[in-house]
Amino acid sequence: MFRNQYDNDSSTWSPQGRIFQVEYASEAVKQGSAVVGLKSKDHAVLVAVKRSPNELASYQKKIIRIDDHMGIAMAGLTSDARVLSNYLRTEAMRSKMVYGRALPVGRAVNAIGDKAQTNTQEYGRRPYGVGLLVIGHDDTGPHLYEFNPSGIVSEYYAYSIGSRSQSARTNLERNFETFQDMSLKELIVQGLRSLRDTLQQGKQLDALNTSIGFVGKDNKMTILDGQDTQEYLDLLDEGEAMDTE
Amino acid sequence: MDSITLKVPHTTERPAEITNYGPTTHISQPSVTGTSVVAFKYKDGIIMATDCLASYGSMARFRNETRMISVGNNTLVGMSGDTGDFQHMKHTLENLLTHEYDMDDGQNMGTRSIYKYISNIMYGRRSKIDPLWNSYVVAGVENGESFLGFVDYYGTTYQSPTIATGFGAYLAQPILRKYVEGHEDELTEEEAVRILDDCMRVLYYRDGRSFNKLRRAKVTAEGVEISEPYPLDTNWTIANYVVGYGS
Amino acid sequence: MTSIGTGYDLSVSTYSPDGRVFQVEYAQKAVDNSGTAIGLRVKDGVVLAVEKIKHSRLLVPNSNKRIMTAGKHIGFASAGWMSDTRHLVKRARDEARHYYGTYKTEIPAKIIAERMGMYVQAYTLYSAVRPFGVSTLLATMDNNDPQLYMIEPSGQYMGYRGCAAGKGKQAAKTEIEKLDLDSLSVRDAVKEAARIIYSVHDSTKDKLFELELSWVCAESNGVHTHVPQDLFDEAVEYAENADNSDDEGDEEMEDDE
Repeated sequence: MFRNQYDNDSSTWSPQGRIFQVEYASEAVKQGSAVVGLKSKDHAVLVAVKRSPNELASYQKKIIRIDDHMGIAMAGLTSDARVLSNYLRTEAMRSKMVYGRALPVGRAVNAIGDKAQTNTQEYGRRPYGVGLLVIGHDDTGPHLYEFNPSGIVSEYYAYSIGSRSQSARTNLERNFETFQDMSLKELIVQGLRSLRDTLQQGKQLDALNTSIGFVGKDNKMTILDGQDTQEYLDLLDEGEAMDTE
Repeated sequence: MDSITLKVPHTTERPAEITNYGPTTHISQPSVTGTSVVAFKYKDGIIMATDCLASYGSMARFRNETRMISVGNNTLVGMSGDTGDFQHMKHTLENLLTHEYDMDDGQNMGTRSIYKYISNIMYGRRSKIDPLWNSYVVAGVENGESFLGFVDYYGTTYQSPTIATGFGAYLAQPILRKYVEGHEDELTEEEAVRILDDCMRVLYYRDGRSFNKLRRAKVTAEGVEISEPYPLDTNWTIANYVVGYGS
Repeated sequence: MTSIGTGYDLSVSTYSPDGRVFQVEYAQKAVDNSGTAIGLRVKDGVVLAVEKIKHSRLLVPNSNKRIMTAGKHIGFASAGWMSDTRHLVKRARDEARHYYGTYKTEIPAKIIAERMGMYVQAYTLYSAVRPFGVSTLLATMDNNDPQLYMIEPSGQYMGYRGCAAGKGKQAAKTEIEKLDLDSLSVRDAVKEAARIIYSVHDSTKDKLFELELSWVCAESNGVHTHVPQDLFDEAVEYAENADNSDDEGDEEMEDDE
């Protein structure tokens, strides 16, 4: 591993105008298992592969509900994600209590973006080592946002983060124009199809390692794990069978 | 001859021992005040009226005040009570809407949100034992549905198809119960205006802090409209028969 | 930069032997790598334009805005780090609100520019922080008087009739200097701004980009806002036609749905 003298803390610029600590934090995101997010005109969906350290251990949770209208999926340091999700939950509650309205999704993500920015500017701190995909539904419909350690927040039609997520993105880029009119079911299956592209040789999506989250105009934020995901995994396989016929 | 000392409530001095050693206190009387707000639902939305007077005690001090404001796109707020506290509230709401404008994200700050926000401010202030001396009536039309809510300086809230604050709660509310409640969905704007003017006329006859220069406002799906000041036709011939007041 | 790597460039609280603060210069580098932002002040308004470089086709158009509003009358455009930009916008909003709360009048351009300059400068003083990687353009109307300021990572701020920051700033400045800013109307300035952004955009290096245009003028009621859609389309058309005659790369993407 190379070293340079500008990469020790997040309060030092490199001569090229980069902050290495932030870039290294982004590496931590790439270590995490992959997450895919996508949306149609009515729904937003997250799908993720969970990891388990060994056969006796449970699988690491990947999707967290923030409120009835919002949820996040994470890749990277999951304990950092918990700090951010706690903050998001507090903000969501505050919005409900003060204004009686659900926290607008974009503002929620920007709130954690602004929080993360501070960690990239002050000595003695480290950037958050986690990337998030945030889905939600508000006055302007369904949304999908990406949050990353630099504090930059971006809105997407579809996106993926985590290890080997580029493969999923390639798939999404090819197809995202068709997502707009998809039903919730189709959208989930489409998400799983992209997610599958990130798996290592010999690994498969199954009811144990798959996690699904969705939210929409008439759907509260819902997370499916275990047997509840089987229905969609079956649809994924059926789709393949039909394609090959 | 002894000089005359005028004792207006809020200029009355407190005993020195309370000022020096007593508990922390806040303003406990309003000073420049507006009287009733009358508002009710009708077919197209909500209609509301206030007069243009801000009294200083019993003096008709400021006679061209507006006690109704439009907040955001589709919300109308009427106020009775202390005008200084009202100005503070206006400023707070202005900040809120500037922030909403800055967010530039197409999200809507609706009537219910504004009502909830005002209610929270009022309850928060009363919990600090430093209340804003007002009653607010918040009205709006959201997704085709009329909303009319009340909040006072205790932070008490209620929603109703008819609301009257201050003296209006005694004098206008019974009229609204009879002519409005149960017919909110049928009343036309002309009928609503007639009922509202009747209420304001009764208030003008009997409320010593009222004034015959008032504004009417309505909020419909199209937005908020606040009228220019106008007077009501009144009839004082009966005044000659009232005995025992004045000469 | 001969002193690179000599150890005098690691902290913002260290001068190099020849009296430079390298960390500030490095922050400026971050700005110079970013998409171009320009501002034009003409007689009846101010226009801001930004070349928002997009790293993916999956990004939702018209989201992730780089031009923002502080208060109601202050336009805020930036070149540099987006997260630092948001930090500064937040500060500008706080300043504008605080000033208005005290004086019940909108904060004048030179005051907000000075306060933002002071704030940015404070981050060039202490080793515990890094300078902002952002150049900020502020566009306002003070009682019908258009004003444009730019604040650099060093905290230096100046009033301008036309200014540019980001990777295309040299080319953009050359273009701006050709304009007769005293006689241009805001509507024309919007079109010129669009043209300049299109002309400095390097489609070989950055494939995808989105144009953002905003203004503050009489037509916008003295409030800072994105330009109306019809004017935006007109400006893009004007920019694209002007671009072709320059025989630049013509593989621009459309900016709207």
